[in-house]
Amino acid sequence: MTRSDGPAKLEGRAEFGTDVEVPGMLWGALVYAPVAHGRIRRVPLSGVRSMPGVAAAVGPDDLDRLLPGGGDRNRPVFPRTEVMYRNQPIAAVAARTASEARAAADAVRADIEELPALIDLETRFPEWPGPEAARSEGIIAHVHARHGDPDGAFRSADLVLTETYRTSGIHQVAIEPHACVARVDGGVWHVTTTTQTPFGVREDAAEILGIREADLVVEGTWVGGGFGGKGAAFLEPYALLLAAAAGRPVRLGFGYREEFLLGRSTLPSIIRIETAVSGRRIEARRVRLLLDSGASLPGRDFATGYSIGFLLGPYKIPAFEMEGYAVRTNKPPFGPHRAPFAPQCVFALESHMDELARRLAVDPIAFRLEHVWAEGDPTQFGQRVGPFGARAALEAARARIAAWRTDAPAGHGIGVALGFWSTGTGAGGETRLRLSERELVIEQGEREIGSGSVIRGLVAVAERVTGLPAESIRVAYSDTSTAPYDTGVFGSRTVGALGQAVEKAAKTLLGILGERLGTPPVRLEFAEGRIAVLTNKGLRGLETLLTDTERTAGGLLVGGRHFGTPGTIDESRVLDGTFYPYSDFTAAVHACEVNVDPETGAVRVVRSAAFHDVGVVVDRPMAVAQIEGGVAMGLGEALTEEALWSSDGRLLNPGLLDYRIPTLGEVPSIEVVPIEGFLGAGPFGAKGLGEPPVIAVPAAVANAVAAATGARVFELPLTAERVVRALKRLEGPARA
Amino acid sequence: MRVYLASVATDGKANSHALARPPVTFSFVQPTSVEAALRAVGTPGSVAIAGGTDLLLDFDNQRIAADRVVSLNGLPWKHLTRAGGRLVVGSTLPLRRIELDPRVAVDLPGLYQSVHAVGGVPLRHRATMGGNLVRASPASDLLPVLLALEATVHIVGAYGSRASSLDDFLRGSRSVDLAPGELIESVSVPYPAPSAYVWQRVRPAKDISQVGVAVARVPGAGHWNVALGGVVPRPIRSPSAERHLTRLRPKAEEITRAAEAASEGVAFATDRRASEAYRHLLVSVLVRRALDKAIPPEAPS
Repeated sequence: MTRSDGPAKLEGRAEFGTDVEVPGMLWGALVYAPVAHGRIRRVPLSGVRSMPGVAAAVGPDDLDRLLPGGGDRNRPVFPRTEVMYRNQPIAAVAARTASEARAAADAVRADIEELPALIDLETRFPEWPGPEAARSEGIIAHVHARHGDPDGAFRSADLVLTETYRTSGIHQVAIEPHACVARVDGGVWHVTTTTQTPFGVREDAAEILGIREADLVVEGTWVGGGFGGKGAAFLEPYALLLAAAAGRPVRLGFGYREEFLLGRSTLPSIIRIETAVSGRRIEARRVRLLLDSGASLPGRDFATGYSIGFLLGPYKIPAFEMEGYAVRTNKPPFGPHRAPFAPQCVFALESHMDELARRLAVDPIAFRLEHVWAEGDPTQFGQRVGPFGARAALEAARARIAAWRTDAPAGHGIGVALGFWSTGTGAGGETRLRLSERELVIEQGEREIGSGSVIRGLVAVAERVTGLPAESIRVAYSDTSTAPYDTGVFGSRTVGALGQAVEKAAKTLLGILGERLGTPPVRLEFAEGRIAVLTNKGLRGLETLLTDTERTAGGLLVGGRHFGTPGTIDESRVLDGTFYPYSDFTAAVHACEVNVDPETGAVRVVRSAAFHDVGVVVDRPMAVAQIEGGVAMGLGEALTEEALWSSDGRLLNPGLLDYRIPTLGEVPSIEVVPIEGFLGAGPFGAKGLGEPPVIAVPAAVANAVAAATGARVFELPLTAERVVRALKRLEGPARA
Repeated sequence: MRVYLASVATDGKANSHALARPPVTFSFVQPTSVEAALRAVGTPGSVAIAGGTDLLLDFDNQRIAADRVVSLNGLPWKHLTRAGGRLVVGSTLPLRRIELDPRVAVDLPGLYQSVHAVGGVPLRHRATMGGNLVRASPASDLLPVLLALEATVHIVGAYGSRASSLDDFLRGSRSVDLAPGELIESVSVPYPAPSAYVWQRVRPAKDISQVGVAVARVPGAGHWNVALGGVVPRPIRSPSAERHLTRLRPKAEEITRAAEAASEGVAFATDRRASEAYRHLLVSVLVRRALDKAIPPEAPS
C-alpha cells in the first residue's frame, strides 16, 4: 500500500493545524469561566488591554461593535448573561506572544454570581421522568415513538426482562489538538484550521458571527485525527473575532489539558430497556434513554432520535415504545464520538439480548438470527431494509467462535455482539476530475483526517474506474472559496458518498474520451510519465484526444456529484420529536475472548475478530487498518475510558494518565473478516467503514465477561472494580 | 531556599485543574562535585533533578516555581555496588540499569519486579531511585519493596552525612524527611532476600497502581515483612499481616490469615482510581499472591 501523504508526515513536513504560523501573527488565549453555572455581571477587560504585548481583548460587550447584528443571538460567541459550564470561554485576548496572551487572559477577573449547577443526570431525575417532563426546563430534546400494542404484549408475555444500563463520558483523544489561524482582510474573513468539515465550519462560524458564508473562507490543514471532535466550528469564531478586533492574524490553539476540559466529548447516559417475550419470540420492547447533553446538544433531535433507534434495531420487534430525553447539564456541550452513541446503545441492547437468550436457554447467536433484519424486512418505522449482511456476519462469527471454543482455557469467556449502523448518510458532495497528459487530479473540498479515506480512498475509486495507477492520481486540496462543496469527513460517508462522486465523474470522463475516439475506451494507462487510452484497437496517447483548450488550460475537466436518498419512515409512529430513515444498512459483528481474574475482576481481551458488512472492499489495507483502529478504540470504551466529574462540574481526569486509552499491551490480535456482497450505495457497492468497527466492541466484551464469570456488568467501562461488584464480591461506596 | 522535594511537599496550592499555562523558562546547571551540587541546590529558586521525568509535569501543575534547574547527573552517584551483605544503589542510577543487572533479579526478585513495574522502558532509562524517593508518591511502585526490605537512605548535606531508615524518611504523600539543601546519595538494602512485588492497575501498561504489595524476608528479621502501597498517603508496613508470617515457608492457613489481616484497622483512600472497599479486596488478594511468588520452594529432599 502506498499513501501519498506518508513521506511528508513521516518526515515532519506535513503542516497540521497546530503547525500553522503566518508573519505578523498574534497569539490568542481564551478566558475561562471559573464556575459551572453563573450569572454574568461584568467581564471587565480594560485592565488587561494595557498589559504587556496585548493587542486586543474581546468579551461579550464587544460583540455588537465587532459583528453584524452582534452575531447570532442564540449562539453568541461569548455568553452575555449566563455561564453554562465550567471553563466556558467568556472572553479572549490576543498578544505578541503566547505567554503574554495567557498572562492577560489569566488576569481577567470576571464578576460572576455563582448559581446552583446540575452535573449529574440522576440529580435531575432520580426516577424516570414521565411525559410531563418533556416540556420542562432543561429538556433540550424529547423524542417519543410507538407502534403496535406494546402494553398488550407485555401483559401476555411469558417473560419480561427489564434492565438499566449506564454509560460514561468519553473523549475522542485525537492526537492533534484543535488549532487555527484567523485573519480578516478586505472584508473577507479567513481561517486556516484543522477540521473534518471545512464547509461545515464555514456554515457554522458564519452563523455564529452573523456574517455571510460568502465572506468567510475556510482552509483546512492536515488533520491529526478527528473521531467526531473536529466536525463543527469550535475555536474558529473566537480566533476570527480576535483577528477582527486586532486587525492582524491571530493563532488560537488548545493544549491537551484544554482538549480534555473543553473538547466536545460524549457525555453519560442512562438506558432502560424492557423486552416482552412469548415462547422465544420478542413480542414487544420499551426503551427509555436519558442523555446528558451538557450545555447543548448539536443536532439535538437528530442525536436523540437517531441514538434511541439503536436500542430496537436491527431486530424484528412487532410492537415498541421508545422515549428519549436530552437533559441539559452544566458540562461542556455534548460532542459526537465515532459512531455517535451507537457503541453505548449497542452495549445496552446487545447485553440485554444475551441476557434474554440466557434466560430462554437459547444460544445467543441463534437468538439473534431468529430476530435479525434481512433485506426487505420493515424497520421499526416501516422503512424497507436494504441489502444487509448482519445474518452472514453473525454466521461467520458463529463459525469462528466454535473454533475458539476448542482451545480456550477454562475460565475464559467468549462474547459476540451485533452492531448496526446506517452509513453513507444522505448529505451531498461534489468532486471535479481534471485529466491531463501527465496526471489525473481529484479536486475536492475535504482534507485527509488520518484514516486515509480522502488521500487513499478517493484515489482507489479512481484507480478502479479508470485503470490508472495511484502514482498518476493526485488529490488536490483548496479552500472553501474554490473547492467543490462537500459536507464533511464524518458519518462513514467519505468513500461511500464522495467516492461515489469520484466514481461518477470518472465514468463521465471515460465516456467523453469514448465519444472522441468513436469507440468506448477500455481503460487508461500510465507509462513513462504519460497517460494513454487503451481501446480495443490499441493504445492512444491522451494528448491526441485533448482539445487545444484542454491542453493549455489544465486538462479535461468533468464533475461528479452525489446526493444520498435515504428511504422514508412511517411518521404515524412518531409521537414527539424527529426520527430519521436509514441509508445503507451496515452490520458490524464483533467477537472476543476474555480472561477475567476472578479475584480482582481484571479483564484481559486475549483475541478478537471483526466481521464487517462492507459491501465491497475498495482498498484492503485501508479497510483492515480502519477496522483494527476501531476495535482498539472500542476496547478503550469497553474497559478503561471514562470521564470523571466532580459534583461541582470539574473534570477530575483531564489528561492521558487518568483517562486511559488502550496501549498496544491491551490490544489483542484482531482478525478482520470482510463480509462482501450486500451492496451499498457507495462506489462499486461499498458501504461506509469509518464508524462501524467501534460499535459492537464494548457489548462483545461485556458479553464475554458475563460468559466468563456469570456476572453481568451494567455500566461502561467494565473496570475491574465494576466486575467484582457484579460478582457480588464487593460492597460499599464506589469510586470518588 | 528551595529544593525540588521541599517545594513539592509544602506547596499546597498546586492547581491541577488550571487549564492553559504560560511556558516556563529556567536556567540549567550540572555541577560535577557534591560540594558544588549542595551549594547549587541551596540557592533560592533552585530545583534539583536526576532523571527529571516529572519536571515539566510539575511545572505544568504549578507544584514548583523554580527558575534554576540543578541536574545531579554530573555527580558520581550512578553506582550499583555490593558490600557487607548490602546492595547500594546510587541515587542517580537510572532504574533500567538496576533492571538489567543480572544479579538483582536473582538476589532481590521483589526489587527487580518493582523496578520493572515503573512506567515503560524509555522512562526507566531516565528515572532514578533517588528521584522516586524524594517524590514519595503514595502509589509509587518502588517504595513498598524498599520498605519491606528495610532500606536505608544515605543523605548528604552542607553540614555532613546521615543515614535514615526509609520508614522514618517517608512522612506522607509527597513529603519526606529531607531538609532544604540536603540530597540523597544512595539507598541500600540487605541482600539476598526472598521478595516479591505485585500490583493492580486500571490499565496494566503505563498506569499508576491502585494497590501495590511487596513482601520480603530480610536476614535477621523474625518474619516476612509486608508493605502496602497506594492505600494511604504513604506506603506502610502491615504488622497485622506480618505476625502470621514467622516461618520462612508459612503454612497455607497462615498466608490466608495474613492476607485477611493485612488491611485490618486501616482506613484506605477512596479516589478516582479505586474505592476503599476495592483497595481492601486488592490488598488481601495481592498479599497472598506476593507471598506465593516470594516464598522459596522446599529444597528437594
